[in-house]
Amino acid sequence: MMTPVDLSVELAGLTLQSPIMVASGTFGYGTEYADLVEVGALGAIVTKGVTLEPRAGNPPPRICETPAGMLNAIGLQNPGVEAFIRDKLPPLRDFGVPVIVNVAGSTVEDYVAVARRLAEAPGVAALELNISCPNVQAGGLHCGVRPDLTAELVAAVRAACPLPLITKLSPNVTDLVPIAQAAVEAGSDALSLINTLVGMAIDVEKRAPVLANRTGGLSGPAIRPVAVRLTWEVARAVSVPLIGMGGIMTGRDALEFILAGATAVAVGTGNFVDPDVTAEVRRGLEDYCRRHQVTRFRDLIGAAQVG
Amino acid sequence: MQNSIMMRSRRATVVHRQQVTPLHTQLRLRAPEIANLAAAGQFVHLRVTSGADPLLRRPFSVMLCDPVEGFVDLLVQNVGRGSEIVALAGVGQSFDLLGPLGTPFPLPPPHAHAVLVAGGVGVAPMIALADRLSRTADDHHITSLFGARTEELLCCWQELAGRSHEFLAVTEDGSLGEPGLVTGPLAGILDVPDPETRVVYACGPEPMLAAVARMCAERAVECYVSLERWMGCGVGACLGCVVPAAHPAGDTSDATYLRVCKDGPVFAAGDIDWGASCL
Repeated sequence: MMTPVDLSVELAGLTLQSPIMVASGTFGYGTEYADLVEVGALGAIVTKGVTLEPRAGNPPPRICETPAGMLNAIGLQNPGVEAFIRDKLPPLRDFGVPVIVNVAGSTVEDYVAVARRLAEAPGVAALELNISCPNVQAGGLHCGVRPDLTAELVAAVRAACPLPLITKLSPNVTDLVPIAQAAVEAGSDALSLINTLVGMAIDVEKRAPVLANRTGGLSGPAIRPVAVRLTWEVARAVSVPLIGMGGIMTGRDALEFILAGATAVAVGTGNFVDPDVTAEVRRGLEDYCRRHQVTRFRDLIGAAQVG
Repeated sequence: MQNSIMMRSRRATVVHRQQVTPLHTQLRLRAPEIANLAAAGQFVHLRVTSGADPLLRRPFSVMLCDPVEGFVDLLVQNVGRGSEIVALAGVGQSFDLLGPLGTPFPLPPPHAHAVLVAGGVGVAPMIALADRLSRTADDHHITSLFGARTEELLCCWQELAGRSHEFLAVTEDGSLGEPGLVTGPLAGILDVPDPETRVVYACGPEPMLAAVARMCAERAVECYVSLERWMGCGVGACLGCVVPAAHPAGDTSDATYLRVCKDGPVFAAGDIDWGASCL
């Protein structure tokens, strides 16, 4: 009989049974993976981004494979907050794990309206504010690249909604630390990092961008070192819990983020590659804890030392 | 929990490999559960490597299933780094397969005349369908048209011909069968009155599918197409493989886009907006 490892972590007032979450946009609304994944074993589910009104998303092609990664420009296709609450939330709730709803919008008022509506809906554990989606024209990016606008948005949602708030940060900035600090000072209970890196691929035969949106967000193992570095930097500058993400496919990958200072991790693109990836990450974490006689996983948070 | 049995990733070992054209390889894999469950038109999502590059799975239509032996045949067109790895796989090598996924072809009513139109590597699901139809007791009449640029790209044509009552090969350069495009002989078939219900099924390059869809719409002939797209997840979550939706009369859906992996890959031709520039 192997020694049980306590994988639970505390985050934004929530107790997660495991530090392994799924990243927004990579797990749909949970039901898409219900037949393939033991969803109840996850630490939390983060939903596809939800906006006030339905969004059709970008024209295709929307995705493109790149070395050890992929570009996507889905464009926040979603049915809108009302249909989300009516159709998507009840089955999500039934998985029995915390449901974190990713909220997106074009204006501060949009975010506030969606947050208010979600706060009234039973079964929403927390909100993740997508201030950093690179694939929509309005809102999205320009908010997440400036500390003052980030603070304004977070503060407005904070005032309107009692749910725990997680702000998802964009790596497409010169210095992420002041933006992370602004989000925390404005009332963010935790931070997710990183969103995708803006990238582009060109079809050399057609002499045209591959994606109809021209640019897309780069994800997958290709971005992991960037994400680990930003997790390390932000962990040293803020005191709220971090959710690390970017190319995680194994327990070892996840541990890089945890040791850099993340409290939890989210698996994104890895879900597409292998629906068993979150179980694989979990086995890897448990195995690591046993090998290193760690009985409480949370003791590993930020344990990396500069030699 | 029938679904949890249906959709799991499984190791499948290559038991036979045949180079059918310079560009195409037929792989037979031992995948008993998929062989048991797959219906014509469905696909498997194949993980190319256990590493991170190439990262994404590749979708392959199931070409033939042998539920007794537990074999699944895939037709691989070697067009890039991912498909090359699959195409060059030797006997004994194994891949992680997810499936069967997606929607199958709706079968025609008894005694119907099924007209199968294949272009290039799009022949794979047409062979699956011909195989399925030829095994029913519904007395279907199967006519197959198979087009390619040139003779050597008419991959596995014997597999389709052997399962059809009539078979016609069409090549753009006239190297085998009729010269031209499949739409020529298709018009000839559709314009002859037929006492039986006619249903057209097509898979191939998009201009061919758009032309077939238009010809069928003009003649009020039922038509189903199988589409191919780059896919992320293959299970409907990532919304990466969408195509523009049409809204025929009576359609109450407000969807702008349809997911090829989950809403398809088989669609009623009238559900697709063939005129959209992004198709």
